[in-house]
Amino acid sequence: MTTSSLPTAPAAASERSPRRIAFSSRLSRWDLKLSPYLYISPFFILFALVGLFPLVYTGYIALLKFDPILHTGTFVGFDNFVWVFQQRQFWIALRNTLTIFLLSAVPQIVVALAIAAVLDSNLKAKTFWRMGVLLPYIVMPVAVALIFSKLFSDDYGLVNHLLSFIGIAPIHWHTDTIPAQIAIATMVNFRWTGYNALILLAGMQAIPRDLYEQASIDGAGRFRRFFSITIPQLRPTLIFVIITATIGGLQIFDEPQLYDTGGLAGGSNQQWLTLTVYLHNVGWFQDGSFGRAAAVAWLLFLLIVLIGLINLAVTRRISNNENRRTS
Amino acid sequence: MNLSRRTRVGAVLATAATIALIATGCSAGGSSSGDQKVTLTLATFNNFGYTDALLASYHKAHPNITIVQKVAKTSDDAQTNLFTKLAAGNGLSDIEAVDGDWMPKVRQYPQLFTDLASADNKGRYAAYKTAGGTAGTKLIGLGTDVGPEAICYRADLFKAAGLPSDPAAVSKLLTGDWSNYYKVGAQFEAAKTGAAWFDSAGATFQGLANQYKNFFEKDDGTTVATTNPDVKSAFDSVLAASATQSAHLQEWTDDWAGGMAGGKFATMLCPPWMMGVIQGDSPKVTDWNIANAFPNGGGNWGGSYLLVPTQGKHAAEAKAFVDWLTAPDQQISAFKTAGNFPSQLAAYKSSALTGATNAFFSNAPIGTLFTDRAKAFADTGVIPFKGIKYGAIMGAVQNGLTRVEQGQQSAADSWTQVVSDIKALS
Amino acid sequence: MTAPILSPAAISGRPAKAARRRPGRGGAAAGMRPGFLGYGLLVAALLGAILPLYWAFLIASGDSSSLNDVNLPWWPGGNFLENAIKVVSNDRVSFFKAVLNSLIVSTVVSASVVFFSTLAGYSFAKLRFRGKQSLFIFVIATTAVPTQLGVVPLFIVMSQLGWTGTLGAVIVPGLVTAFGVFWMTQYLSTALPDELIEAARVDGANMFKTFWYIGFPAARPAAAMLGLFTFIATWTNFFWPFIVLDPSNPTLPVALSQLQANYFVDYSLVLAGVLLATLPLLLLFIVAGRQLVAGIMQGAVKG
Repeated sequence: MTTSSLPTAPAAASERSPRRIAFSSRLSRWDLKLSPYLYISPFFILFALVGLFPLVYTGYIALLKFDPILHTGTFVGFDNFVWVFQQRQFWIALRNTLTIFLLSAVPQIVVALAIAAVLDSNLKAKTFWRMGVLLPYIVMPVAVALIFSKLFSDDYGLVNHLLSFIGIAPIHWHTDTIPAQIAIATMVNFRWTGYNALILLAGMQAIPRDLYEQASIDGAGRFRRFFSITIPQLRPTLIFVIITATIGGLQIFDEPQLYDTGGLAGGSNQQWLTLTVYLHNVGWFQDGSFGRAAAVAWLLFLLIVLIGLINLAVTRRISNNENRRTS
Repeated sequence: MNLSRRTRVGAVLATAATIALIATGCSAGGSSSGDQKVTLTLATFNNFGYTDALLASYHKAHPNITIVQKVAKTSDDAQTNLFTKLAAGNGLSDIEAVDGDWMPKVRQYPQLFTDLASADNKGRYAAYKTAGGTAGTKLIGLGTDVGPEAICYRADLFKAAGLPSDPAAVSKLLTGDWSNYYKVGAQFEAAKTGAAWFDSAGATFQGLANQYKNFFEKDDGTTVATTNPDVKSAFDSVLAASATQSAHLQEWTDDWAGGMAGGKFATMLCPPWMMGVIQGDSPKVTDWNIANAFPNGGGNWGGSYLLVPTQGKHAAEAKAFVDWLTAPDQQISAFKTAGNFPSQLAAYKSSALTGATNAFFSNAPIGTLFTDRAKAFADTGVIPFKGIKYGAIMGAVQNGLTRVEQGQQSAADSWTQVVSDIKALS
Repeated sequence: MTAPILSPAAISGRPAKAARRRPGRGGAAAGMRPGFLGYGLLVAALLGAILPLYWAFLIASGDSSSLNDVNLPWWPGGNFLENAIKVVSNDRVSFFKAVLNSLIVSTVVSASVVFFSTLAGYSFAKLRFRGKQSLFIFVIATTAVPTQLGVVPLFIVMSQLGWTGTLGAVIVPGLVTAFGVFWMTQYLSTALPDELIEAARVDGANMFKTFWYIGFPAARPAAAMLGLFTFIATWTNFFWPFIVLDPSNPTLPVALSQLQANYFVDYSLVLAGVLLATLPLLLLFIVAGRQLVAGIMQGAVKG
């Protein structure tokens, strides 16, 4: 090992007095103990500055009948939560959030994984393909919404126009629940698939190549290697992608909000009303309902944590099993 | 108050040649000295017709005052912005534009806005405009524009249906009540031109809703939308007509815009600001025209206010500027730019307004036409009450109408859902 | 364990050729040429990415009637340059100031996110300390907080600090993100072998030097990607900058939104503006893209 070239701090320690050695070793003990906290502290300091107050504020007003302008409120306990649970639109929004999440996250991650696997192979013009799949991510979300709501408009949209060529009757993208949700999921997938593919690619490239060589020698085929080496080795990255896709997916706001600009966001029969859009409607467009919106926000938070934990458990189990099989 | 400043401001405004402004200018002034440079920020949305040239002309007359305009994309963005910064207690522009639709919510907080009333602006606006800007005893908003409704129509489609197509004849044809409008619609449909009579049930319902005093809410704010027989009968009658006469294209959707360009409907209820929308969405159509008529006489849709939040540092300057900006000459300039029709009664007498025509709408005499429509609305004597829940209730009813037009529900089922949605607003 | 990793080049943080682990050799997956299916998938993905954008370009190169034109031709009209000039020269948009502001904000935010996230990720992935697990879960949990209501309290915070209207109000909340910390933690947990850190410690390097010479180089590929993603996300961010910045001092999306402020919107101008605003990112792609690919290739530092 050529470790000698490492710049070493206490190189001249032997020439120092014992007292100074004691001091420097104490210093080094502090270094060892405190550094980890020091390194993560910027995040927590910033969170305390800009994140904590909004969180506490939201939690506090969820228990009030609250006027956000005058900052006055009367304590109502869990009344806001009770009200929310009684709302038909809340349950529809919950259902929509989950179905849009499934329609977007699942295909997105599967396709991203496949794209990443291809990108991980010995391609020509690597930069071109990598940047190409990331292209949608650089377009402003507002423009994406604009483009797709035009493409999916019922009478004049390009999608229905193209479908008519292959003899498919126009689909009611703005009336029927499932088509509307597919259109929204398409917007999400357009923007995020390439992004997730590159993240997964980075994870794949960190996998030691010897593992593949060994497996090759053992006669494992391409797919066998993918499932018995890539997937288990990719576990931390997969967890990251799944968790962030879950959180992002359940908080989906821009796409359903901008999908159709007629009336209150979410569709005439709440076909694509998601929880965030619902809480936005309640908070800003229903008078005196800021506390109720805060309650929806907290319920959404709990839902995300719950689904995140389920995801984590499932992911762990899957890749653990894979690990066991390979070892 | 600084006397020299008052005289100076008065003199400058006098040279601006608007009689209305002289007294207004005298009410200006404040703690700051005449030499101080002040930048006033003005927050609007959509298109208020305040061109950079217009704002620069104020700076020219008042070299110490510079105006910076911040324009929000949509009324919704402006609303979120306003309430966020009201809640934070700072960050608002010196002058904030507020849409008539959510003005009722803003009126709950008169203590946060400067009183803009002066001896001068008393009685200068249509009564309903002043009512909308008043909170308690305080005039917190000066009206920018009003939305007296006419009917925009496609002359080519009228011709194709064998109906008269010149504006005078069409105006005569459409003068009457709502059943007259639907009756002509039936005639139009019978000709089977392939186009519908109007765009959507929702848009038509808007026209009806603005003709009642207490349509959704009583004066004390109590919701009566679910029990008021007028609402139910408007809901039912619009849907009955919609079954045969509507293009089922919900307002503001992409298909609605496409339908306008593609000639999918022959008429639209048409406040003056709608002219810009129609031109923007169907720039290649040459056959749009405007009928000087509206079912049941008159109606008003839309119109905004300018407010001066107390959190700003230049209340006096801002107030003087708002007085100027909402004065007839500037309102007429905005009308010519963006179609926002003046709310000051004096403007209606100005030849600059009455001479206005619109080339896109077959040279329709929009100045006199909308002046007539504004009078017609004033003549109905109805000042629609819009309380804090008006917007949310309207949203629920509009959704209900759309559900029926989309074929998702029967009118009866949809109404049941409307009722439950409105009850959830309490 | 293999020695080349600790070559001077790797330690000094320069791209270490020796650290590359024979990309594209042997029977590893990385060495396989993609089959017909593989290329098919990529071509499909690329088409899916490009077609909607091409459609946007068609509109942007037309005039105000293009958007609702049912028979829009498949080849671009001749107005793109004209539309682009209209956007740039529109006084209300203050395009160049917005570009400069966006450059400042995006650069500062992405540099900061990369540094602090890597530092924190290294700590979470590789260092031992009490409460690590729960602090890490806390970091992830913070991203689950819905932001729709957060605007009001965040604005209150910013106005208390007196930062509203300044670029600081846009920069500071983004200086380090839970997302970045999470990503670097996950990446470093596989990409950086513990033995390397042990070796450096045994040699007496202090904690920060170990991070700087061992942790940071190992994190390079993921850090490059985090930097690129953060830059793009900051560049395209609209709502918070719209709320907190003045019209006279906007970022690009805020400036461009002025084009949409109308009852009728000339979408050929709006989309021309959007495409124009995307150009700097494309340049970044071309410059950073090579770096990024080099970075990823060099990523396999694990022995």
